[in-house]
Amino acid sequence: MVFSSISFLYYFLAVFLGLYFIVPKKFKNSILLVSSLLFYFYGEPSYILIMLLSIVSGYLHGLWIDYKRNTPSAKVALISSIVVSGGFLLFFKYTNFFIKNINQIFSFKIPSLEIVMPIGISFYTFQILSYVIDVYRGDAKVQKNILNFATYVALFPQLIAGPIVRYTTIENELESRTHSLEKAAYGVWRFVIGLSKKVIFANSLGEICKIISKSDESSVFYYWMAAVLFALQIYYDFSGYSDMAIGLGRIFGFHFLENFNYPFISKSITEFWRRWHMSLGTWFRDYVYIPMGGNRVSKLKWVRNILVVWFLTGFWHGAEWNFIVWGLYFALLLALEKLFIKKLLDKTPDIFKHLYVFFFITVSFVIFNANSMGEAIGNIKGMFGLQGVPLITTEALYYARSYFIFFIIALIGATPIPAIVMKKISSIKAGEYLIHIGKPATVLVLLLVVTGYLIDGSFNPFLYFRF
Amino acid sequence: MKQKISNAITVTVFFLVIYGLLIANLISPDKAISYSERRELAKAPEFSYEELLDGEWLKGYEKYFLDQFVLRDKFRGLKAFTNYYLFREKDNNGIYVVDGVIYKIEYPLNEKSVLNAAKKLNEVYDKYLTGKRVSCAIIPDKNYFTAEEHGYLALDYDKMLEIMKSNVKNMTYIDLFEHLEIDDYYKTDIHWSQDKIVDIADLILSGFGQDKYASWDTYEEKSLYPFYGSYYGQSALNLKPDTIVYLTNDALEKAVVYDHIDKTYSRVYMEEFFGGVDSYDFFMSGAKSLLTVTNPNAKTDRELIIFRDSFGSSIAPLLLKGYSKVTLVDLRYLRTDILDNYLDFSVDCDVLFLYNTLILNNSYMLK
Repeated sequence: MVFSSISFLYYFLAVFLGLYFIVPKKFKNSILLVSSLLFYFYGEPSYILIMLLSIVSGYLHGLWIDYKRNTPSAKVALISSIVVSGGFLLFFKYTNFFIKNINQIFSFKIPSLEIVMPIGISFYTFQILSYVIDVYRGDAKVQKNILNFATYVALFPQLIAGPIVRYTTIENELESRTHSLEKAAYGVWRFVIGLSKKVIFANSLGEICKIISKSDESSVFYYWMAAVLFALQIYYDFSGYSDMAIGLGRIFGFHFLENFNYPFISKSITEFWRRWHMSLGTWFRDYVYIPMGGNRVSKLKWVRNILVVWFLTGFWHGAEWNFIVWGLYFALLLALEKLFIKKLLDKTPDIFKHLYVFFFITVSFVIFNANSMGEAIGNIKGMFGLQGVPLITTEALYYARSYFIFFIIALIGATPIPAIVMKKISSIKAGEYLIHIGKPATVLVLLLVVTGYLIDGSFNPFLYFRF
Repeated sequence: MKQKISNAITVTVFFLVIYGLLIANLISPDKAISYSERRELAKAPEFSYEELLDGEWLKGYEKYFLDQFVLRDKFRGLKAFTNYYLFREKDNNGIYVVDGVIYKIEYPLNEKSVLNAAKKLNEVYDKYLTGKRVSCAIIPDKNYFTAEEHGYLALDYDKMLEIMKSNVKNMTYIDLFEHLEIDDYYKTDIHWSQDKIVDIADLILSGFGQDKYASWDTYEEKSLYPFYGSYYGQSALNLKPDTIVYLTNDALEKAVVYDHIDKTYSRVYMEEFFGGVDSYDFFMSGAKSLLTVTNPNAKTDRELIIFRDSFGSSIAPLLLKGYSKVTLVDLRYLRTDILDNYLDFSVDCDVLFLYNTLILNNSYMLK
């Protein structure tokens, strides 16, 4: 099930929100767990067992680590947990990739297993791993109640597309949390904003990208338009989902950490990754990069660490070469920035810093969005006029004109400008009134408009589902 | 305090909307058909364990929820309104409105398809029509009159006509482009309005020299309202529906239509179809692969065969006055190679190929 669907909004959410707030406190986690399992079952009926097995494995390994604490067996338990959880991920997500490449390299004919990846496996596996590692390190207390642990892993607001919520973030709230009108209002606001980002912006941007990809009239302008619009689409898609997750979490009394912080205003690639998919970045930093020595090692080892982390980051996003190249592309950019460009960047006017980030991020998403490296190279060549296509065509011009206002609104919406404007308005007395009246009115209008978009449109994939 | 009230209203509004619409959806009866979208709506899927486990049952429910959502048309209208008036997008799902007339973008010109259409016409001629009087007429779609002038994507109509003229052999081309204007078409539908194409019918008849055998000179105008054309539902905007104005007389009332496939008889104008899923089916019962209409007042024995699309349904009654019989062949539903199973091509007759530009640009549907 996806948040941006009629079934979720007007059936699932309505029913379970009601139940959640009606039942006594001691049953609230049970309601959350049951609803989360149903939520998952709705989208992946057959793979719910894989998730349940992962949960049981994570739970038992946590107990084992705790039981054998300060003995070598604890390390064995940790490795065992990583092998089991990582094994599920490797098998379901990467088997076909390995078979395909082994066949190509060695001319074997190993048949593909035709495995379909369980939705959300990358997210819940990383959550389970963070839990067992934190228990092993002593950063988190072992969870002895399997219902609470299962609720943490399966919690539907963040189950299938993140953010990756660390166990330590909601450890206390799993046991005891408070609910308030203020939290509910904030949650509703974040949820509706996220829903609108996804349904009104990401889906519409996706439709334009689809029109461009299907067009017979290629042009340099079209290649750029597709690249820029996809970068915006993936931002609205993923940050919208994160907003919805954070909002729903808050309604249920949880405080999930932010996952996006206006990444497109970054002035360096390093800054971009501090603002984009922050939960994944910090996961790799804390569980891979720092344990390998981080940057407190020789330059050569540091380069190795960067390459390993970004190889894994790319590979986490998908079992295709273009994702690996995408990860390594950032490894190269970050290494170059740190070793050579940083000083130069510091002296450069902001506008050039933004252009620099805009250019390399846009190109990165062309690699990311391609179905193969061949397609990615073809699209990048097209952007630089190396595909023998005209600069612009009638069709490209038409869609540029037609979507111009939408594009400008989408662009502004991806910056802190709306938040700054709201803050300015609320700093004056009349403005404060306006905000108090405006928020509920905005919730009402956006909910109705989103419903209109959902009913009218069929284009509604969550891009981060595939990861 | 103000913050608390604002929070309370925000939460209340949210819950009112989701619970209000949940209850409304639960109590509102399911609809079988959406007349504005001219299609059957999804029904609740029947339960089976296999379909539950492979996800099909739940997918069925997803479609059911979307189709049966209360105030579905109003919500679709809200989306269209947002796209047109807030984002100022030129079209919504390819649909655009100029001066109250609804259009659907058709772009780009598919030259291969147009060439395929020309080849199909030649194939029919070579197989069945050698030696007959054959004409070809192309009906411009509504975009021809408006799109380019208002900055919308438009087909290269000159190129399309050039391909057709230079590739279609043994046929006389009748130019309809200069005789039609946008007012000759319905505002909410793809088709031309019958009361506006009497001159087109006369032009075709005089092209075949059949105007001198006209069985009647006058018509009585009758009208049917409201007519929600095929673009009406797609536009999702609250526009005024059309009126079907049709031309009739004693002979047309008595004319009998024979369906060669179903082996049934019917009438030229089928009032019972008006108000159904597609009210345009009022003309000659809509999409039918092979029909013959007989003129009870014919002043000639000559017959006409029209290879046609849906535009042919409304002009056929007007052409009937010059012939004893008019046969309508729709190659979208009937294969070219089996036509002689149903029709006797040895009879001396006139033949008209009458297709609109949208069919030529998507001609692979011609069998």
